[in-house]
Amino acid sequence: MADYTLETEEGRREALRRMLTIREFDSTAGDYFADGEIPGFVHLYIGEEAVGVGACAALEPDDYIASTHRGHGHCIAKGLDPKLMMAELFGKQDGYCNGKGGSMHIADVDSGMLGANGIVGAGPPLATGAALSIDYDDREQVAVGFLGDGAVAQGQVHEAINLAATWDLPAVFVVENNRYGEGTPVEEQHNVDDLSDTAGAYDIPGVTVDGMDVTAVAEAVEEARKRARDGDGPTIVEAETYRYRGHYEGDEQPYRDEDEIEKWKEQDPIDRFSELLVDRGELTEEELKELRDEIEAEIEEAVEYAQDAPLPDPSEAYEDMFAEMPPEIERFASQARADGGSLGGDRR
Amino acid sequence: MTRVGLIANPAAGRDIRRLTGGASVVDNYAKRRVAECVLEGLAVVTEPPDVAVMPDRSGIADHAVSEAPDDLAVERVEMTVEESAADTRRAAARFRESADAVVVLGGDGTTRDVALEIGDVPLVSVSTGTNNVVPTPVDGTVAGAAAAAVATGAADADAVTDRHGRIDVRADDVNGEKRLTGLAAVEITDRSFVGTRAVIDPSELVGGVVSRAHPSDIGLGSVAGCLEPLAPDALGGVALRLDDPEATARSVSAIVAPGMTATIGVTERDRLEWDEPATFDVSDVVVGADGERELEVVDATVEMTPTADGPRLVDADAALGAAVEAGALVREGPLLEER
Repeated sequence: MADYTLETEEGRREALRRMLTIREFDSTAGDYFADGEIPGFVHLYIGEEAVGVGACAALEPDDYIASTHRGHGHCIAKGLDPKLMMAELFGKQDGYCNGKGGSMHIADVDSGMLGANGIVGAGPPLATGAALSIDYDDREQVAVGFLGDGAVAQGQVHEAINLAATWDLPAVFVVENNRYGEGTPVEEQHNVDDLSDTAGAYDIPGVTVDGMDVTAVAEAVEEARKRARDGDGPTIVEAETYRYRGHYEGDEQPYRDEDEIEKWKEQDPIDRFSELLVDRGELTEEELKELRDEIEAEIEEAVEYAQDAPLPDPSEAYEDMFAEMPPEIERFASQARADGGSLGGDRR
Repeated sequence: MTRVGLIANPAAGRDIRRLTGGASVVDNYAKRRVAECVLEGLAVVTEPPDVAVMPDRSGIADHAVSEAPDDLAVERVEMTVEESAADTRRAAARFRESADAVVVLGGDGTTRDVALEIGDVPLVSVSTGTNNVVPTPVDGTVAGAAAAAVATGAADADAVTDRHGRIDVRADDVNGEKRLTGLAAVEITDRSFVGTRAVIDPSELVGGVVSRAHPSDIGLGSVAGCLEPLAPDALGGVALRLDDPEATARSVSAIVAPGMTATIGVTERDRLEWDEPATFDVSDVVVGADGERELEVVDATVEMTPTADGPRLVDADAALGAAVEAGALVREGPLLEER
């Protein structure tokens, strides 16, 4: 049984909760990044919530996902804890990767989350590898590789999908087409109308669905998952979606105008899904407000937790990097351990 | 001057049924080629009609204009493009006022969108969609030639067209009245959401109304057709109520979606007159039109009524046959002695 499924009222409520959590988490992350409290870069998933949540609603808890640089939404959709995620964004010891990964490298293999990734198009090779391991060990899982529209033309994506297709591996590739590869419109990057048309090159099915509709994404990924589990190989599911914020926080976005953003907001995935649940009599406006308040408090708590958590100890700079530390790294690690205390300072 | 409208829907034939069933994929390159064939076909008559093409962002119209035969006047319709079904409807509304015949490239969904706006303008519907009951798999060149024959009057439109039926749906649920129209069929599926629109699991079909029935009419029309065919231009429709074949006295093996056959239990079959509604009381379902889930309804009475207000569809073979009889395809050269 999946973590949550759109088949039940309870599951639908959970899907809505996760979409709202993603939005609140990312809005908050944007604010703290602007204040300079979060180091590095953040790429926000706001507007695309239906894709991650829809896809994960179609999965079983032990299925794998491999994410992108815009990974917060996938993490929350897969059930990761916003507190530990926020701590990771703040670069703190309590984060998923002990504060050494940050926004673009949240991973939690125990939850089936194989990692966000700073390299465009690096998710599909991980998914193909995970799918190969599933196949090899005869397990009942699937691996989902998320990728953006820009990644579709990356060499490694082609290699990953080609091998998964050739070996009939239990993989699903979910293309989040948010219309822009950084600042370049999708039409200026690809010669096909629908990015799912690339599936023809691998002799696998490719479908394009409304990525602002969580029910459509879930249904397509569910069918793709069935196909993968039946031994028929991977499927490309393209979800047409839109990011409301810039490519990264601070992006001035000269490539699009406010009218376009507003037009997409009319299709807002959270509004659409919550209205659907209200129409069905499963949710009242009051309950929706309560849910929003609850999530707001939860994310506020996550921020406090992250702010209060210690920074990783500099003496451990080389820990958590390798399954087995290579000898040539070991000497840097020992040096760090030896110098550790002196670099400590205020570790809050 | 006579005029033919061309509507090629870039979004037809691209839905999830190519994953869930065996639906064929019609890519936009194929549609460009079909559009090119249509224009070539239009030029077959002595005085070809002017052509107006619905604009799109997939290059189908642009390609058609640039590749059109030299002796054909082709222009794009001046209209905004939303990249949705609204484009098809808007173009059809224009053609209702300005065209003598219209060629549509798409499936049942596209043809339905055109039918809602086109009025009495004769329609040549060429199958480039997924669930094709109404459009025919006629070659684009033949479709173009047939449209030219009708538009120029070489073929008498009344003699070579049939009026198709349609089914109007009205649902009163907790949120008020909802409406929907289907051409060949409207069907109720026991599923909560529109989702990807396709009918994925045949056992979820609860019932519906068809305006025509034949085992080859993919979808609910096939289910009805297995019991007794109903010609596309026959009067009225058929209402069906379905159930698990284990629980019914009679069941049929039907083609319920492209690449998908199923044994379906039929609890009730009622022949309907024009304007005679069939009603269904439902709790949590989706009502679809022509094989695509469209409308979510909760705790509702759904009324489905066949009406005689569908499109006038051109029989391409008959149109060209009539053109031959009118001599429209023969050019008389100068007599030998006059040379």
